[in-house]
Amino acid sequence: MDFIPHDKKVIKEILNTIGVESIDALFSDIPNEIKIDKLEIDDGLFESDLYNEMHKLSLKNGLYSSSFLGAGCYYHYIPSSVESILSRSEFYTSYTPYQAEASQGNLQAIYEYQTLITRLTEMDISNASMYDGSTALAEAALISTVITRNNRILILEGLHPEYLEVLKTYCWAQDIELEFCTEEEIANKINDDYASLIFQNPNFFGEIEDTGKLINQARNKTSKPLIIECMTDPTCLGILKPPGAYDIDIFVAEGQSFGIPPSFGGPGLGIYTTKKKYLRKTPGRLVGKTKELYGDKIGYILTLQTREQHIRREKAISNICTNEALMALASLIYLVSLGSKGLKKVAYNNIQKSNYVKRKIDKLNNFSVLNQKPTYNEFLIKSPNIDRFLDLCEQDNLLAPLKISIYYPEMENTALVCITEENSIEDIQLFLENAQKCV
Amino acid sequence: MDYNIPKNLKYSPSHEWILIENEEGIIGITDYAQDQLGDIVYVEFPEVGEEFSNGESIAEIESVKAVEEFNIPVSGKIIEINDEINENPELVNESPYEKGWLARIKLANLSELENLLSSENYISQINKELED
Amino acid sequence: MKKVRENRNLIFTKAFESAEDNYIPDLDIPSSNLDDIIPKNLLRDNLPIPDVPEVEIVRHYTDLSQINYGVDSGIYPLGSCTMKYNPKINEKIVKLPGFSIIHPLQKKNEGAILLMEELSQLLHKITGMDAFTFSPAAGAHGELTGMFILKKFFEQNGNQKNKIIVPDSAHGTNPASAKMAGFSIIELNSNEHGEIPLEELEFAMQEGDVAGIMLTNPNTLGLFDRNILKITEIVHKYDGLCYYDGANLNPMLGICRPGDMGFDILHLNLHKTFSTPHGGGGPGSGPVGIKEGLIQFLPEPYFIGNEKIDKEKINISHSIGKMKSFWGNFGILVRAYAYIRALGKNGLSRVGKVSVLNANYLRKRLQEFYHLPYQRICQHEFVLSDKNFPNKITAEDIAKRILDYGIYAPTVYFPLIVDGALMIEPTETESKEALDYFAETMIRIYQETQNKPEFVHKAPHNTPVGRLDAVLAARKPVLKE
Repeated sequence: MDFIPHDKKVIKEILNTIGVESIDALFSDIPNEIKIDKLEIDDGLFESDLYNEMHKLSLKNGLYSSSFLGAGCYYHYIPSSVESILSRSEFYTSYTPYQAEASQGNLQAIYEYQTLITRLTEMDISNASMYDGSTALAEAALISTVITRNNRILILEGLHPEYLEVLKTYCWAQDIELEFCTEEEIANKINDDYASLIFQNPNFFGEIEDTGKLINQARNKTSKPLIIECMTDPTCLGILKPPGAYDIDIFVAEGQSFGIPPSFGGPGLGIYTTKKKYLRKTPGRLVGKTKELYGDKIGYILTLQTREQHIRREKAISNICTNEALMALASLIYLVSLGSKGLKKVAYNNIQKSNYVKRKIDKLNNFSVLNQKPTYNEFLIKSPNIDRFLDLCEQDNLLAPLKISIYYPEMENTALVCITEENSIEDIQLFLENAQKCV
Repeated sequence: MDYNIPKNLKYSPSHEWILIENEEGIIGITDYAQDQLGDIVYVEFPEVGEEFSNGESIAEIESVKAVEEFNIPVSGKIIEINDEINENPELVNESPYEKGWLARIKLANLSELENLLSSENYISQINKELED
Repeated sequence: MKKVRENRNLIFTKAFESAEDNYIPDLDIPSSNLDDIIPKNLLRDNLPIPDVPEVEIVRHYTDLSQINYGVDSGIYPLGSCTMKYNPKINEKIVKLPGFSIIHPLQKKNEGAILLMEELSQLLHKITGMDAFTFSPAAGAHGELTGMFILKKFFEQNGNQKNKIIVPDSAHGTNPASAKMAGFSIIELNSNEHGEIPLEELEFAMQEGDVAGIMLTNPNTLGLFDRNILKITEIVHKYDGLCYYDGANLNPMLGICRPGDMGFDILHLNLHKTFSTPHGGGGPGSGPVGIKEGLIQFLPEPYFIGNEKIDKEKINISHSIGKMKSFWGNFGILVRAYAYIRALGKNGLSRVGKVSVLNANYLRKRLQEFYHLPYQRICQHEFVLSDKNFPNKITAEDIAKRILDYGIYAPTVYFPLIVDGALMIEPTETESKEALDYFAETMIRIYQETQNKPEFVHKAPHNTPVGRLDAVLAARKPVLKE
């Protein structure tokens, strides 16, 4: 297969028009010493062979009847409307909407996405998306150093370890210092020399932070650093008070929970929102509403592009170009499909189911729940028999919770459990029975 | 040439003008500069109180597809910026010498004015640019 | 594409208070009082998102899709974007549960790992690079990864090189990425052939503080730099590294390899060269490949493509860290892998050849009507300009008028080194009929610029909306309803 429609006759005609003898003559600018005869890879495949081979390959990955694993990537129900609309090839085979008049579908959808995300978060502005939650956070951190002209960042413990690693990489290159603190230490540490305070909510261990209290601690000391909040499963916003209800300067999130399959961790969706006063310091694309130049119809267009790399080059606020537009569309359709009633129910069921299991496990001998604060859909359990418990889950074809020592070697015998609305009562009972076997 | 280049102003080679009133100056961009930039959509201003030496970039003027730096024609301190521009950036296009002024400055060194161009000299400079 | 010009309502206007949620069942376990779990002050008061019946949602977005143009709608000659046809089989494969619903932290992931290992082996053969990371989510993200690797390399060697050379023909992402990695930029002006001036390159390198060069080859004029081997030699002579921006790799498939040109690091745009759909602006994937000597700096996770390298001896103690959570945009990797396997060695070689054939055909057909600043055989794309147009017609006017003929426009006003640029890249998947239709449309528009310039200037006339006011959008930004 090569998806090239020309036959030999057509190629000959084209060569005649160009006025060259052969296709090879078109490559005369390339030094002969680097030309290759052929690629040393296999011959191509017919579609049916390709499909069958890929199908077999896919079966080498574990498929489970139910998942108790989250840690930054979540199983939530995806309404079938999402996949149906995403399969419209006018959407998925289009490029960045540079020619607005031929891209109104995409542009209006992104405008709707921006609107919906600002309503969900109650922040002033949402951009058209970033790559994922971790890079959205890293870019937010860099921008806080630009806005404040400071180069120290304070991070509250409980940030997703992979996000922290990404943040470290980005900040290393610009000599930005990262410091860490507990909630109690914020007031003592923070001062005018910091660019930002970063915290995750619910944190990596599933705990819901008291955002108002956190912010007061910082703001009682200084108004200079930005407050950056990050979230890995924003379905919780169906119930929890949104960042815009507090004095959050930049709110970022991983939007994978909104209608995007796990897909081994990507593509996801980087949600980036901020206050109006930071509009000109916002990375990524923005879609704006406008009118026809010679008429009165409303239309949508990429705007404020002078922030971006293709105009401002090295002075751009970020280098981002390609984003996750199709995933933003998926999240838009997910959110409008569920609506306020559905999203509330998702959040409610996550809280109820997960806290039900948490209470049950905490009562078992040899098991303890480590969280002190309220939790959303994840919580930490500890048991001397944790390995056996996780094995039993896998044997029952349940995707087992995360053994947290892969990120925190010092936290032995501890696992991060995730329960969502997708875990049925039968799955939950099986899970609890396995725990019961390990007391 | 159709550009309005008032005789009472002094000009920098990078297309800024200055109007002197005692030791203060009002600064902006010329009719020629606004025409070259096209529709101006935003001006990023410096803070009042900031000090700059002559030729330094103090603001950025944005059109839809370009960003140009605005250089201060003489050394000085910003004492006022034209807030109207935030709401109505088109004033810089429509009225570059009056409603579209950009900043009021306190001059640090009056002798620097001697290095600026008269309207005649500035006109011949832009004629040359247009020929190229 | 629907051509009806009407104001379209937003989805928010289609909400019904009474619309029920059809998706999420009621709780099937014993519930507690919510206030006992979460303090009341942490709960939100209202949730202002609309409740819309499914049928309205589906119709709304089907309608929007019909006023959007994709590769499936027709030719998409957007220069430097490689808008080729996206085979349908890839979409079918990526939806297999064994790819789509697997968790990045699950242990039974043999198939996913195998796929990435094999993809790195294939990309090794195609590009000449030894090892790859699939973390970068897009081309610009790959550039940033590459620049971090460069920075770490010099930091580790105790070398204070802090500048990067970027030619003036480069994509804007190049200087922006280098800057984000803490480098300052030396912009090098292209010579009259659109190529790197060797003397000036050597002069810049002699300063001793230049870490390397970022280069696209063929460059954004669609021209292969004939001095490429001398360029990489000069940079290496002064201990610099050479970075290849893979945005324009498509015409080189099966013809030559960046690794053999002397490049040390590259990124690929899988969403260009390897045919994964652009999704209206993303997701993409921008794998970074490096030569063996730089393996120790790769971010995790990484894959060794060159089977001659002993994996046991690899030490990445100087890794730059992580670039993105988990493994990268895996769904895009699956499609790119399937594409390479489908085409195989012969198919991929034809891609390179025919992409260049098609571009030269259009160049030849259009150069007598439009100004062609660089008169040479081109590679996958070429650049025309709006110079010499009568009646103040601009590149943008031409682009808008093209839309009226039911096809998409070339890239305009890029590269910056050509005033009023129209950058055309047809790709290999366009038939001669499609190429001819595009060429004839361009020629007809040229004639219109003579006969009815005002009409061209106010184009488009047949699209779902007329020309939009970009100035108004930027002066008074309205970014949400």
